[in-house]
Amino acid sequence: MADRTGVAFDVAVETTAAVPDGPARVAGRWIVRFAARQPLGVVGAVIVLALIITAIFAPQLAPHGPKDAAFAQHRPPSAEFPMGTDHLGRDILSRVIWGARLSLYVGLASVAFGVTLGALWGVVAAYFGGPADSASQRLVDMLMALPPIILALSLMAALGQSVNNVIIALAVLLIPTAARTLRSVTLSIKESPYVEAARAAGCSHGRVILLHILPNTLATYIVLVTVNIAYAIVVEAALSFLGLGAPPDEPSWGGMLTAGTDALEAAPWTIFFPGLAISLTVFGLNLLGDAIRDMTDPRLRGGLG
Amino acid sequence: MRKYVARRLLLFVPTLLGASLLIFVLLRLVPGDIAEILVYQSGTESSAIQQKQVQQIRAELGLDRPVAIQYLVWLGDALRGDFGYSYTQRRPVSEIIKERFPRSMELAILTLLVAIAWGIPLGVISAARQNTWIDYTVRVVSISGLSLPIFFTGVLILWALVKFFRWMPPLEFVALTEDPLENLKQFVWPTLAQAYYISAPIMRLTRSQMLEVVRQDYVRTARAKGLGHYAVVYRHALRNSLLPVVTFIGWWGGRLLGGIVIMEIIFAIPGMGTALVQAVNYRDYPTVQAIVFVMALIFLSLNLLVDLLYGWLDPRIRYT
Repeated sequence: MADRTGVAFDVAVETTAAVPDGPARVAGRWIVRFAARQPLGVVGAVIVLALIITAIFAPQLAPHGPKDAAFAQHRPPSAEFPMGTDHLGRDILSRVIWGARLSLYVGLASVAFGVTLGALWGVVAAYFGGPADSASQRLVDMLMALPPIILALSLMAALGQSVNNVIIALAVLLIPTAARTLRSVTLSIKESPYVEAARAAGCSHGRVILLHILPNTLATYIVLVTVNIAYAIVVEAALSFLGLGAPPDEPSWGGMLTAGTDALEAAPWTIFFPGLAISLTVFGLNLLGDAIRDMTDPRLRGGLG
Repeated sequence: MRKYVARRLLLFVPTLLGASLLIFVLLRLVPGDIAEILVYQSGTESSAIQQKQVQQIRAELGLDRPVAIQYLVWLGDALRGDFGYSYTQRRPVSEIIKERFPRSMELAILTLLVAIAWGIPLGVISAARQNTWIDYTVRVVSISGLSLPIFFTGVLILWALVKFFRWMPPLEFVALTEDPLENLKQFVWPTLAQAYYISAPIMRLTRSQMLEVVRQDYVRTARAKGLGHYAVVYRHALRNSLLPVVTFIGWWGGRLLGGIVIMEIIFAIPGMGTALVQAVNYRDYPTVQAIVFVMALIFLSLNLLVDLLYGWLDPRIRYT
């Protein structure tokens, strides 16, 4: 929880340490400062790191295949099946581990597409302005007039159920917010003297956008990405929970929760572990996202969703 | 103020129409329209007769006309309260909406009221007792509320009810007008489950706003002129802290409506959310289209209301 005095301190450190450093040392110092200033962010980073490792090494970590329905149904947690088995006799631990991979894949891919497209849209619209900008703003209004889950559900209705379609639906959900945020950032950058200077020196519009405007929107872009990964993961789980996200045999945490709800009383472990996995992931990503947001730009605190 | 209201209202209608057009076009892009679904239901080989039937149904439903015309026809009907016919529920869509709209609204309003009644006082207490154990407890409880996805909270509550109270969601829905007590019994758990989630950001925002406002000059002036602690906190600080909270409620209206869908599914409340999920599953596009339209209407109205309220509460907004 950095307060305003922390920000002033931050500036002071940077002006006194004006000795040129290699990028490794700069990055190293940034991490040390991050750890000192944002202890909760470190907790978040550890959780996220664990998630990433689980996702990458899922085939090695999982004792069984995520779709192997080879065991007795609804077995309670035991030494053999630490998280029990589900209604089809699949090992829940293995499904939770593979679920990390699915969640992270969907979260990263949808944010990469959605936030990037939205960002480019916002930057270009703001840079050129005029009627095209107004028109694109009205389109953003229309997309934002639909409650997110409702929009995602209609997209899934049109596209059909598959993991890749979930990614498309989530990306569409993320585009308007990213476009609006980046538009407002670009509007202020566009008026700055260095953009004017670049234009005066004869740079083309494309060059100005690529080399002078985009680099300066990077901080906002990074914040949008970190904040929205957790959001995308939750919405994916919600869609799968409603039975309209990933197909049922895919190891999605949300889908596992739905399957467990049918046997709530007889086999409560079928809901506990996938639910805990989602909660822990969201908790970790939120802590990390908050910390990065506080570190990169204190003005953004509380403003973005 | 009048100009401000007029500008907001002018944006309202085109945005709503645009959103409904987006969904309309989207649902028309789907391969396999209702005519094909109706004819090929049995899963037999497509014959010349069936193809002719498909053509016939398309002509009857006007599906062979350009999308733009179809949309205008749909819109004209919708404005007169006719949203088409649901082939899966075998009744007019407007009937489904009329039946289910009050249920979903009841859930949404109850959730919002409980979240506000719970979030704002906690935020004030937390700020007034900053950095004490009360503050820490309130903050930890609220942050955990934000990290638990509502479908997990909902399922956990359902599990606890089944396990400890042998309570199952009732099979028959009882309307508020029939038996208010029985009706509220059905709504209390989904309301609490979602209000826990929504109240967390309300609490956090109230707290941070209070902390900021308390440091302002006019609060110091109020104290200096000898006002009591409660008068300063509630009359001066709280009122001004509530502005961002009001905007926030509009902001989170979308999540609230999405959450309603999930709560209805978990607690078996036959509202618009359950109807929507069912319609998406059976590719019942007229129903999907109508429910999405109504949801967008609610969401936009909520935002408009929040904007107007904000303009009314904060005179600075009106003149920009």
